[in-house]
Amino acid sequence: MSEEVAATNADVQASEDVQAEEHRIPQPDKITNKDLMKSWFGWWWANEVPHTFDRMLAPAFCFGLIPTLKKLYKDKAELAKAFQRHLLFFNTQATWGGGTLTGVTISLEEARAKALANGEEPISEDMINNTKVGLMGPLAGIGDSIDSGTVQYIFIAIFLPFAQKGNFMGALLPFLCFAIATFTYGYYFTKMGYSLGRAAAKEIMTGGRMAGIIDGLGVLGLYMMGILAGQYIKIQSYLKFTISKKTFDVQDILNTILPGILPLFAVLMLYWYFQKQGLKITRGLIYLTIALVALSIFYII
Amino acid sequence: MHVTLSIWQALLIALWVALVESRILGFSTLTMRFSPLMTGMMVGFIMGDIKQAMIVTAAIQLVYMGFVAPGGALPAEPCIATAIAVPVALLGHMSPQGAIAIAVPVGLLGSYLYQFRFFLNTFALKPMDKYAREGNARGLGFAIMGIPTLISFALFIPLMFIALYFGAPVISGLVANIEHGTLIHVLNSVGGGLAALGIAVIMQVIGKKQLLPFFFLAYFMSVAFAKLDISMTIYAIFGAIFAILYVTFTSKKSTN
Repeated sequence: MSEEVAATNADVQASEDVQAEEHRIPQPDKITNKDLMKSWFGWWWANEVPHTFDRMLAPAFCFGLIPTLKKLYKDKAELAKAFQRHLLFFNTQATWGGGTLTGVTISLEEARAKALANGEEPISEDMINNTKVGLMGPLAGIGDSIDSGTVQYIFIAIFLPFAQKGNFMGALLPFLCFAIATFTYGYYFTKMGYSLGRAAAKEIMTGGRMAGIIDGLGVLGLYMMGILAGQYIKIQSYLKFTISKKTFDVQDILNTILPGILPLFAVLMLYWYFQKQGLKITRGLIYLTIALVALSIFYII
Repeated sequence: MHVTLSIWQALLIALWVALVESRILGFSTLTMRFSPLMTGMMVGFIMGDIKQAMIVTAAIQLVYMGFVAPGGALPAEPCIATAIAVPVALLGHMSPQGAIAIAVPVGLLGSYLYQFRFFLNTFALKPMDKYAREGNARGLGFAIMGIPTLISFALFIPLMFIALYFGAPVISGLVANIEHGTLIHVLNSVGGGLAALGIAVIMQVIGKKQLLPFFFLAYFMSVAFAKLDISMTIYAIFGAIFAILYVTFTSKKSTN
């Protein structure tokens, strides 16, 4: 109790300072279970609705965080930065990945918002991005095989005999069971991610090992991007030509030089473009689409 | 065999498909999309023959048993397949097996439609960047949920209505015509290549050039081991070990 009183005194002190100094960032509101439920529900609801090719599920993740971020960042500029960082490429499974990461991200954002308000060294944007990027793949791998691969078909298999006899409960029951089960344990993962993330955030802030951890997460993040690039990007050449009765298959030739060279080339061109021109995502999207359409119309790719 | 539905029946089924394929009912639409059961039930209600609809649907379910979509792409759309095949089977008094023969090609066409939805979203969702920059939560929420929902409805309702009202034979003909056509090829190529953008953005955001070798390491690992079908978890464990090793060795150097 006394700690809380001390904290409120500090808050009062801080708010007086705000009036004294311009541009102090206001204290964030406390995050409650209700906020976690709101964000989990937002992500659960939006999930696949705004799926795009270039950012995958990032908009849905951002949508879930909107109410929480509004409570954490009373400063418009910081709120805008938070919205923007959660619109970057993100793809994971809904409950195991999305639930856990919603909780973890909220805890990191909360630590960052508090540090900003108190004028301390905050958890950096990189740290938040790298944590998400590093964890989204492995959690999705687990979630896909459990939720859509196992849980879903367990319920369908149990109730299919009803359907085969012409009873509509054979459709309704597997749906309801799947919806209730996944919603419930997804919320549990959100809460778990939040408390785990809070413990980790405290450890990071007090341990003075921030730089090392950011580097480590950077390694993991770039490494996971490499794996995803190898698995998600599908660009190959369909070009074939014949010289003196011998047919040359361009993709076969490319494979003997360096397998996977075309997807890598596409990523590196874009990366190089962003290095030179800054992060102009829309332009990158338009150029890439034009190139892909032009090349595929003539079956070059 | 002449197959028709009333305008209202066709419209209601089309609306149901749009609700499922837009995913506006939340994550649970996953099982409505992957499994034909709920769609079969709705078609049964709308057509007033639940019993027969469920029997046909159960047969279609067996075809699509075990369907999972790693990374979101499904090789067929069971919901769309069912929405077409069940009415045709009920009106034409076909066997469940006959319904399956219609469902499979329609499901294939459906998966292209679903991909096309991603394609439209990719461009139409751009206003969300503007709202995010302004810190405008209300605008951002609308851009993320409103725009893609409108797109899905505009895409699925007319197409499904036409398909249902004018009959399945049209669809099977259409599938045969465009399946190997240039349009589908271009769509596949654009869809396959656009993921490069998001990945390049993250590389730029992480922003540490001296860490780039880890990107190349992972990229060539996944290319070289593609045939081994290694799970994401194993790759992630490797990644975590590399990260720990990197941090350990670089911090040792600085203390010495």
